Amino acid sequence: MSLASDAVLIAKKDMRIEMRSRIVFAQVLPFGGIVLLLFAFALDTDRGVLPIVAPGLFWVTVTLSALLAVSRSFAIEAEHGALYALRLSGLDGAAIFLGKAAAIVLQLLVLEVVLATGVFVLYDVHVPGEAVLAVASVAVAATVAIAAIGTVYGVLVAGIRARETLVPLLVLPAVTPLLLAASRSFEYAIDNDLSTSLRWGSLVGVIASVCVMVGVVAFGPLLEES
Amino acid sequence: MIASWLWRRWFGILTLKALVALAVFGLVVAPPDSEQGDAARLLYVHVPAAWIAYLAFFVTALASALYLWPRTRNDSWDHLAGASAEFGVLCTGLTLFLGSVWGKPIWGTWWQWEARLTTTAVLLFLYLGYLALRRLGGVSSQRRNAIAALIAFIDVPIVHFSVSWWTSLHQQGSVFNDKMDVTINDGRMAFTLWLGAGAFTLLFAWCCLGRMRLLGIESKNSELELEAAIAQRTGVPS
Amino acid sequence: MDHNWGYVAVGYVGTLAVLGTYCAVLISKLRKAPTEKHEQR
Repeated sequence: MSLASDAVLIAKKDMRIEMRSRIVFAQVLPFGGIVLLLFAFALDTDRGVLPIVAPGLFWVTVTLSALLAVSRSFAIEAEHGALYALRLSGLDGAAIFLGKAAAIVLQLLVLEVVLATGVFVLYDVHVPGEAVLAVASVAVAATVAIAAIGTVYGVLVAGIRARETLVPLLVLPAVTPLLLAASRSFEYAIDNDLSTSLRWGSLVGVIASVCVMVGVVAFGPLLEES
Repeated sequence: MIASWLWRRWFGILTLKALVALAVFGLVVAPPDSEQGDAARLLYVHVPAAWIAYLAFFVTALASALYLWPRTRNDSWDHLAGASAEFGVLCTGLTLFLGSVWGKPIWGTWWQWEARLTTTAVLLFLYLGYLALRRLGGVSSQRRNAIAALIAFIDVPIVHFSVSWWTSLHQQGSVFNDKMDVTINDGRMAFTLWLGAGAFTLLFAWCCLGRMRLLGIESKNSELELEAAIAQRTGVPS
Repeated sequence: MDHNWGYVAVGYVGTLAVLGTYCAVLISKLRKAPTEKHEQR
């Protein structure tokens, strides 16, 4: 079997579990929604800061939700010794990494569509028509990066106790450059400054490819140790 | 071993003397800076602390790589990585603290979103996470920790690049002297800075070797305890 | 210029406190470390 078909197998497995349990869609998605509301309460809607800071708030919300999605992704492996089965399955570590990350990407993209709708409605943000494509592609690249970082740290702490509290501490500092670049890219896109937006977007792309490469290399050895 | 040879009383005394000398030179001998006045004295500690923080994280990455390389695999490398990261986090914290205390009189604010400052703050949390991971231990945790250290190290340039790009876009008020570099026009100032770098390097080596020794003893003791526990259960003395 | 000395004092004393505590804890732990006990066994 090839790397790609193995990865698809793992991704399908994770998505099937998600479709049956609906943990991410029934718990993480509402969580993201309430965070959007909380930001509006915290920043006071009258002062007009919400449309200005909306890109940053969007990415903070996505990151917080991603932490939960990552925890969930490895919680399903912790039950019934699934991690041992995964290790003994003979699948390549890189394929397992790509599959698990892809499943998280899919879940996060659905979440982002819902959250973006929320941001448009609640925060009164206008995206210029010609910027929509740029925003969408940057969102995909940033999601790939977040999922890759999350998957690497998820397997890093899989199998040790207190992992629920450790994952945020490990993941959040690692995603800071990404959050910075993705937020700036969105801000410039909304301001209709497409070239600057795409420069930040290309930084997101570079970070995403580094994260995926690190994951492909590191996941196998980490899975053996977990 | 080099570790036990270096971690001797004379080495500790030498380190202590260097630190006392740094305090004397930094507080008394070096003249106040022409622009920053006496606040510049903070930089004799701040700058060496920042250098050592970066050096310590580099040593952590190097030791982790040497641990992962099968030919050089040795528990000492794992201990060195841990000891170095711990001192690095300490120095990062000191760097931020001293930078803040220096910034208040010079910039007029405790904090500025300046590239180096912001990068250092992110690094603090990055390596606090690494130390938290190390604390959890577990079976065959050394390889896991070594990989985590390398991933954190890969992140350092990415953080630095993105943060500097970000801060370069901001218009800095002309009131702020953005650069921490003091115009060193006095031999005593230059000497004090080098003395600081030397003293902190000695302290780094001393603390690192001491911590390595402690980690070595701890892991040896837990091995012995495990053996004793097994012997008790099976009735066969190891 | 004089008021800067307060910041300098805070910086130096704070550094001394942090590094001093770290080294003191390190030394006391190493003193207490029970190497000999196990070696005798």
